[in-house]
Formats: sequence, structure tokens, C-alpha cells
Amino acid sequence: MGGLLQEVALAGDDIPWLEGQREKGRELFLAQGLPTAKTEAWKYTRPRDLMTEDFILTGTDEDESHEEEHCNYHQGECRCGHHHESQKALSFPSYEIRFENGIMQAIDFELPKGVTIKPLIEAIYEEDAVKSYLGKEIDMAHYPFAALNTAYMEEGVYIAVERDVSLTKPIAIINHTHACRQNLMAHLRNLIILERGAQATIIENFNYSGNEKSRYFNNIVNEIYIGRGACLRHYKLQDEAYKAVHIALSRVKVRENGFYESFCLQKGANLARNESKISLKEEQAEAFVNAAYMINGWATVDTTTDIEHLSAHSKSHQLVKGVVGGNAKGVFQGKIHIAPNAVKTEGSQLHKALLLSDEAEIDCKPELEIYADDVKCSHGAASGELDKEQLFYMRSRGIGEEEAKQILIDAYLTEVINTISNEDVKNWFSDSANINTGEEKC
Amino acid sequence: MSNTPLLEIEDLSARVKDKEIIKGFNLTINEGEVHAIMGPNGAGKSTLSYVLCGKSGYEVTSGHVRFKGKDLLSMSVEERAREGLFLIMQYPVEIPGVAVTTFLKHAVNAQRKYHNQPELDTMDFMKLLREEGRKLGISADMLKRPINVGFSGGEKKRLETLQLTILKPQFAILDEADSGLDIDALKVVSEGINAERNEHNAMLVITHYQRLLNDIVPDFVHVYADGHIVKSGGKELAAEIEKNGYAEFTKEK
Amino acid sequence: MTEKKQTPEIADESGDKYKYGFVTDIATESAPKGLNEEIIRLISGKKQEPAWLLDFRLRAFNYWQNMKEPTWAKLNYDKIDYQDLYYYAAPKQKVSPKSLDEIDPKLLATYEKLGIPLKEQEILSGVVAVDAVFDSVSVATTYRAKLAEKGIIFCSISEAVREHPDLVQKYLGTVVPYTDNFFASLNSAVFTDGSFVYIPKGVKCPMELSTYFRINAQNTGQFERTLIVADDESYVSYLEGCTAPQRDENQLHAAIVEIVVLDNAEVKYSTVQNWYPGDKDGKGGVYNFVTKRAACRGKNAKISWTQVETGSAVTWKYPSCVLQGDNSVGEFYSVALTNNYQQADTGTKMIHIGKNTTSKIISKGISAGHSNQTYRGLVRVSPNADNARNYSQCDSLLIGQNCGSHTVPYVENRNKSAVLEHEATTSKISDEQLFYCRQRGIDEETAVSLIVNGFCKEVMQHLPLEFAIEAAKLINISLEGSVG
Repeated sequence: MGGLLQEVALAGDDIPWLEGQREKGRELFLAQGLPTAKTEAWKYTRPRDLMTEDFILTGTDEDESHEEEHCNYHQGECRCGHHHESQKALSFPSYEIRFENGIMQAIDFELPKGVTIKPLIEAIYEEDAVKSYLGKEIDMAHYPFAALNTAYMEEGVYIAVERDVSLTKPIAIINHTHACRQNLMAHLRNLIILERGAQATIIENFNYSGNEKSRYFNNIVNEIYIGRGACLRHYKLQDEAYKAVHIALSRVKVRENGFYESFCLQKGANLARNESKISLKEEQAEAFVNAAYMINGWATVDTTTDIEHLSAHSKSHQLVKGVVGGNAKGVFQGKIHIAPNAVKTEGSQLHKALLLSDEAEIDCKPELEIYADDVKCSHGAASGELDKEQLFYMRSRGIGEEEAKQILIDAYLTEVINTISNEDVKNWFSDSANINTGEEKC
Repeated sequence: MSNTPLLEIEDLSARVKDKEIIKGFNLTINEGEVHAIMGPNGAGKSTLSYVLCGKSGYEVTSGHVRFKGKDLLSMSVEERAREGLFLIMQYPVEIPGVAVTTFLKHAVNAQRKYHNQPELDTMDFMKLLREEGRKLGISADMLKRPINVGFSGGEKKRLETLQLTILKPQFAILDEADSGLDIDALKVVSEGINAERNEHNAMLVITHYQRLLNDIVPDFVHVYADGHIVKSGGKELAAEIEKNGYAEFTKEK
Repeated sequence: MTEKKQTPEIADESGDKYKYGFVTDIATESAPKGLNEEIIRLISGKKQEPAWLLDFRLRAFNYWQNMKEPTWAKLNYDKIDYQDLYYYAAPKQKVSPKSLDEIDPKLLATYEKLGIPLKEQEILSGVVAVDAVFDSVSVATTYRAKLAEKGIIFCSISEAVREHPDLVQKYLGTVVPYTDNFFASLNSAVFTDGSFVYIPKGVKCPMELSTYFRINAQNTGQFERTLIVADDESYVSYLEGCTAPQRDENQLHAAIVEIVVLDNAEVKYSTVQNWYPGDKDGKGGVYNFVTKRAACRGKNAKISWTQVETGSAVTWKYPSCVLQGDNSVGEFYSVALTNNYQQADTGTKMIHIGKNTTSKIISKGISAGHSNQTYRGLVRVSPNADNARNYSQCDSLLIGQNCGSHTVPYVENRNKSAVLEHEATTSKISDEQLFYCRQRGIDEETAVSLIVNGFCKEVMQHLPLEFAIEAAKLINISLEGSVG
């Protein structure tokens, strides 16, 4: 057992550049430490729960010994009494990549032509492109968890779509945690490269089975490169166990005429942060960055975006909606940065949140940073409770109060779920949003 | 009608970005005349009005335009305006926070200063504005509102007309002055414009439909297609177009 | 104490638009440079202060010594050497002139030149009472007798400490404690003068009260402190203006304004800040670090801040409202215009504590030249602030390709019945708007100033009329050279 930074042997330690990056990650994580109250970027989200010394890194001896004697989850049976059924499949066909407790499982589908999918570590050995992309756009000095992730860089998936190749089915990355014991931590690194004119849809699904009170830590970094005229639709459902810590960064670079659409629904974890840092590097690059959260209990769930418009005629649009009950805290931080000369750009951002209980909290920091005059930028933020008039109206028509509330909440979230352009995925999210958290017992 | 030329356009060509829109356009308008330019949508009729007013982004590639004998094209936008060139715009822009009265007072006094006339004092100006406004059905309250902000299409056009009656330009261009107007508002606006007609000024009415020309009766009608005038005639030409459409002219090229 | 004569510096009049850049040639009495306990004791002694106040200063100083200058603002300025400043400078004159006749005519002339006549009979309308602060001290307060009839106290804070110690002690430092922030601690240690206002119960102040701040001496920090107390059912409208001579080096200004508003009382505080902004290359100018805060302690209390900020090389200022009393109301209306190399990081805080409290923020920022401007605001709703309401609107206008405009609002809601709305837009003056104005014969520069004034109108209409006219002129002057 040990703290967040442990001495472990990682695959690929014979590759100097990889070791160099890991070492730099260790250094920069140590230099920064965990964010504190004074870390502006983490002002509202304090990962206090990570200040313990009892983390078990996935895939290490300690983890495996547990697996052998306690929980043979590959067979779906576990001595802890939990039945670990790999999560129910998506409701539509997909290329499914499975991670079990942070370890990528063998791929059991045939790869379409022009598409490479393999474990990151294999790609590091086999694909020349990896070296020129991996870690290139990550500012580890300002992203402590990305630095930590880099220190452990090994597990994760490499996805590359060649020029002008369009994938017909979505790629689903299922991250399943067998939460039958405590303190497991996984650091996943995914590298996704869409070459010029390529098109793909990627769905990340984080879920768990087993002890819902189990504490574990997932730290994910996605590096996403979208080539000229390429199009990536990136969806994510975060439905971790309610004591879990989930921290994710998607670093996205979009080139000329490239298109990035993302939607993330967060409904689980004790502390979660889904962060997107998107650079619209060249002209006409465009991003839709939407999100929703519906949280309860003592959760703190954070949606942070930072969109850099670095070139003229780039566009970004953000809609984030949250519903917060119990003692939970919803956090939204959004930044639109317009570089000098990035003229004729458009950036819009809207955050809305509903508070359902007296103890719920919303913290919001929408930010504009603008260095060019010929731009159209706006942001808006609103928070409040359910409309009493609307509730009264529905109850006067005989609808029970709880049901009326649910109808209003559904309607509230539907607006943002409807921004998803893939119908199958949209329906899947609608279904997911209606499932109460914590109900999926094994 | 006299034979004193007010506006002389010779062989005018102009482009927007890389696209040639006006190609070898010729027209002379004398004092006291009303000319109408009719043409299909997208023919570049508005471009002609912007070129004459000097809007940036509209580049003259060849030709000459003389206004009252002076070289119009070498003047700045505001100089042309102060010389007496006025454009009723199809889509007047909103300027938040700037009251109609404030705006017009600046405009009137800028023009007066240019002609070495004393500035109007606020009392006289307000009196004039309210009187003219009343004729056009513009309330005192509307005069206090920020210019064009939240105005209906009809209100905007009435306000443009009000500016015409206050600034008394020698040459007015009406760019689709009837768009967004219902029958009643059209009547008010055209009466306001007709009242300004005299033997020293002139007008260029740019329109797609004949409708406006029933109220503001032109002396000459020109059909505009492919960047220049393809046919000229009297007011009867307008009726002919109303009946047959523009097809024969667009085919002619 | 050393005595020194100010060397008059002739401001370069040619083509310079800052018309308040002159220096008054007057004998000044100042304490030695530097900051230590001795200096603080000296300032306190000079002002014949009671022990509690000296103690307050020393505690502030001790606290300040362990503090770090804040770096979170989007501001870039040379490090200030706090030991290289004079902390006390006063025009040499009788300690407290009994009447205006005893005031140095040069001072009277200075204020006249600034458009602030101090001789009461010369004020035509007679509606504004003025406290004139010159460098570190208040030199004159007008209309005191007339105000005294109503029980209103309007005097320099030094005098208030002597004449009304109970009132001052009761409220001083209760809204902005000496531990509040780096500049507030500094001010608490070394403040030299400022204005004090007390409006008794049930009194509506019959005229606008005004303080006019003037920095004159070289290398001298100005640390004034203003305390306004509006007792139950009272009302006052307060105006603040500021100018400084044009100097090549930067001048430091670190002020505090504290306002206490009790039951059903209302305070309107308007500022037109026109400290010397530096020249067109960014040389010189005032560093303006100000802590302004009002506590609405009583029920139905209301505070309204209106500011027009066109001056200073660096502005760091967040006039705030602490809405403690139930149904209390806070408002913030701001126009900030930066040009050349000016930098402003300004905004407000609305802290909702009482029930049914409402706040409104209207901020209009105009950036031109190479300037950078940030709106930074906080709206916080505490768990007990049932039915709190906030509406915030932050609009920015950019003029030219080299300026920056930033919006950083913080919204923290811990009460479900609160309704908070925030909107922000960024735009430029559109080509269409300019063309429209020019087509009507209005030249480009006038068109820009018309459009900018239109953009600010929502804020300007909250200023008292005369102030509004002055502010509009100031905006036009400050915009000069930003077009074309």
C-alpha cells in the first residue's frame, strides 16, 4: 500500500522517452501536490479524500493477489458474495472495448479497415505515431492529475482512424470497476487520433458493480487529436460508486474544419471532475461541449471546460445543466479564451442548475478571456429551484408532487440531452438519466 | 424637371470581395426627377446603394460618379451624407442606448456645421422633431427610445422617413423602403416622402415590386439585371414588370 | 518631520488630454520615507489620536507585515517598494483652519482649477457639500453648519476621531477589518485622512455630499479612509472624485471606504475616478488599490454603488455589498474604460446573508488601445438567505485589435430558493453601426463616442445629473485616439 505516488515497475521501462515522460510526471506532481483551497483551478472542488496512504494500484502484485484469493472477476464470481456481471451492454451495436478495474481486456471484434485499436502500451512499441502525439499537448505543470497520470502511463487504449475513414458503429469504452473492496486506483491514458476527414463516435462508460460503498479512484486522461475536416463525437456517462473519486481530463486539439462534439452525463462518485481543455487550433474548427449532472448525497461533481479559440472563424457552444439534491455540490467552471487575431469567432456558454434541497450547493465560474475585438461571445448562468407555479399547475391537474417534480426535472435535462446528434446515444442517455443512482446491486 | 444633372453615374463597376456585382452601370438623374430601379432579388440593387454611399467592403473597380458636379467617390461616407446624399436603408441597424433625439441632433448639427450654418438649439430642434414626427405617426415617447432598438419593421421605416424629412437631403436613395410595411404604414411613409419632392431634389427608388411605385410615382423606370440597366422606360414599365415578371430580362443576357 | 518644497513639474500640455495633470506649488510637510512603527506613531501623534486608534494602526501594521501582496488579479505592474514611499504629506498650514479664509489661497485655486469651488457662495446651485482631501489631509469641508442643523456630521475623519470618538470607534474597521486584505491592512496602519459622514435617524440629507481627492506630492502614497454611517430611516447621496498630477513615476493610492446602512436607510455612493492614467506609452499613472464595502446591517437597508472608472494605470477595486438585514438591497453600476496601457481588474461582491435580499450588477467595460480589463465579481448566497435574488449583466466592448477584455464571475449558491442570473456579452462597435451614423453625416469619432455612451447609458443614468454630464465628457476624452 502507499500514497498516490508509488514506486512500481511499469511496462515499457526500456523506452527512454516514455520513462522520461513518466519521470517528468512524477516531478511535476510532486512539485504541485494535491490542489488546495488556494488552487484557483480547484477552488470549489477539493480532492481531500485522496490524502491517504492506502491506495492499491491496479495491475500490481497486491491487486492481483487480491484477485486470486478473493475475487476472480473474470468468471463473474467473487468470494465477497457479489456477482460481477460485466455491465449490461449498450442498447445498440458498437465496437466494445472493456476495461476491468483499469485493465484493458482483449478485443473480441474484428477491426474495421483503416482503424487501429490496441492497448496503449502495445501501441507505444508498435506505432511510430504514438511518440509524436503522446503527452505533447498536456501542460503537466498546471494539471496535477495529468502529471500523476503520466507518472503511471501504461494502461489505456490507442485508437487511430485513418484518413477519410468513417466508422459506422460507435466505439464504446466500458470502464467497469469491481467495487468489492477498497482503495483501488487506476490511471488510464487514452490516445485518440482522427486523421484528416476521419469520422468516429466514442462512448466512455464508467460504471461499477459490487459494494456500492467501496472507495476507489479513477484518474483518466484522454488525448484527442482531430485532423483537418475530421469529426469526433465523444460521449461519456460517469456512474461511479458513491464513494469513488473520478477525475478525468480530455485534452482535445482540433484542426482546420475539424469538429468535436461532446456530451458528458455525471451522476455518480463522491468526488468527480470531468474537465475538457479544447484548442481550436485552426480556422473553422468547431466544438460543442455539453454536459449534465444529476447528483445527490454528499457528492461533489465538477464540470470544467477551457476552450481556446486560437484561430479565426472558430466556434464553440456549451450548454451545461445540473440538478443537485441532498447535501451535494455541483460545480461548473467554464472558460472561453479568444486569442489575438482569432477574429470572427463565436463562443457561447450557458450553465443552468436546479437546487432541490436546502443543503445543496451550486458553485459556478463562467469566464471569458478575450483578446480580439471582432468576436461574438456570451455566457450565462442561472440557478434556482423548480418553478413553484409550474408545480402548482401540475398538482392542480391531479399530478402528485413528487411526480410533478420528476416531470419538470426530466424536461429540464431533456434540453441538454437533446443536443446529442446520435439518436441511439441520445436514447441511451435518456434511459441512463432516468435510472436512480445506487440502485444497481449485483 | 430641369436639365441640371444631380447625379451622374458613368460606366460604374464594383465588387464585393472577389465578386463583380455592378458591371458598367450608367445613369444620369437630373434635379426634380424620380427614378426607379427594379430588378430581381439578388441582382445587386442594394450593392448599388452602398457603393453610392461609400460603405466599406464595396470596392469600385472602374467608372465615375459625380454628385452636383463633384467627384462623389473620393468623398468619405459622412461627406457624401453632408453633401445631401441620404439612404433609406432596408435594414436599419440598432444602436443600443442612443436615443433617436440624440442621434438626430448630432446628424443635423454635423450637416449644418459642414454648411457653415449655426447649430440648432435644443428647443427648436425638439419642436421640429416632434412636429415632423407627428406627421409620420411617431410619438414623443418613441423619439426617446434608443434608435431602432426593438422597433418593428414599420417603425424603423417611419423613423428612416423622419430622418429624411429632418435632414432634407438633395438626393435620396430608397432601398426597398416598403419592406416590412403594411398598407397603412406604406401610405404614411410614401406621403412623407412625396411631401419632400420638389424641383431641386431627386430620388432613386430601389424596389423589387411595383407596389411602392403606385404611391411614389417615378418619372423613369429602369430594369436592373446582371449588374447594369437592361431596359429603361416610363412608369408604365413598372406595370409591365408586375404583369410579366423579370424572366424576359434575365434571359436577355 | 522634514519640510520640503515641491518642485513644480510642468506637465507637457502639448497634445496631452489629461487636464488635471498640473502640480500645485505649495510647501509640504512630510514624514520621512519608509514604513515602520515609528512612522505610524508619528502619523498618529501628528493627528493627536487616542490610544485605541494607535493600537488599531499598530495591530494592522503587524498583521500586514506577514501578508503577501495579492497576485490573483489580471494585473501586471512593477513591484511596489513600500519602503520607498512617503506615508504622510500635508500642505503646510494651520492644523485646522477655522474658516476658508485661513486656507492657503493656492489650495483654493487648485480646487477651483479642478472645478471644485470650496467657497460656498460661489457654488451656484448650492446643493453639494465638499470635503477636499489634498494628499494626506482634509483641507476643507463646506456647508458644515447647514448640515449640522439637521444633526448630520460631515467632516474629515481626523476631526471625527477627535470630535466624535464614540461613533468612529463603534464603526471603524467593522465593515473592512484590518485583516481583510493586503491593501486594507496597509491602509488601516497608515491612513491619514478621509471623510466621515453620519446621518442621524430619520434624516434625509438635503444635499449631495462629496469628497474630492487630490494627490499632489511626489512619491507619496495616498491612504484615505472614508466612513459613512446611515442611521435608521436616513438617506444620503455621496459623490467621490479624484485626480492627480501627471508624473512619470507611479503613485500609490490604497483607500478604504466603509459604509454602514441601518434599518430602512439608503446610501447612494457615486464615484468618478479620474486618477492620472499614465501617458500613451504606459509611463506613470496611479496604482489604485481600493477596498470599498457597504454593510446593509438593518432590515430594508439599501446601498447603491455607481462608478465610472476612466483613470489610473492600474485599478484593483471591488465595491461590495454585505446584505445582512432582511429585505436589504445592493446595487452595483459600473462603467470602466481603459485605453492605452491601462489595466483594470474591477467588479463587485454581493454577499446575501439576510432573507429576501436582492442585488443587481450592471457592468459595462470598454477596452481600447493596448489596455486590459477584467470584470471580477462574486455573488454568494448563504444557506439562510431565503429568496435571495441576483441579476448580473456584464457587457464588454472592445475597440481595436490590441486590447483584452475578460469576465470572471463567481456564483456560489447555497440556498435553493435563491434565483440567480448572470449574463455577459462581448462585442465590438459594428461596421453597420458606424456606417449608419456616418451615412447620416456624423463623423467616425463622434459616432464612436455616441455608441459608447449609449452602451454605458444604463449605468450613467444612476449618477446624479451633473456628475453624469461630467462622466460622459470624461469618457469622450478618454476615448480620444482610440479610433482609426
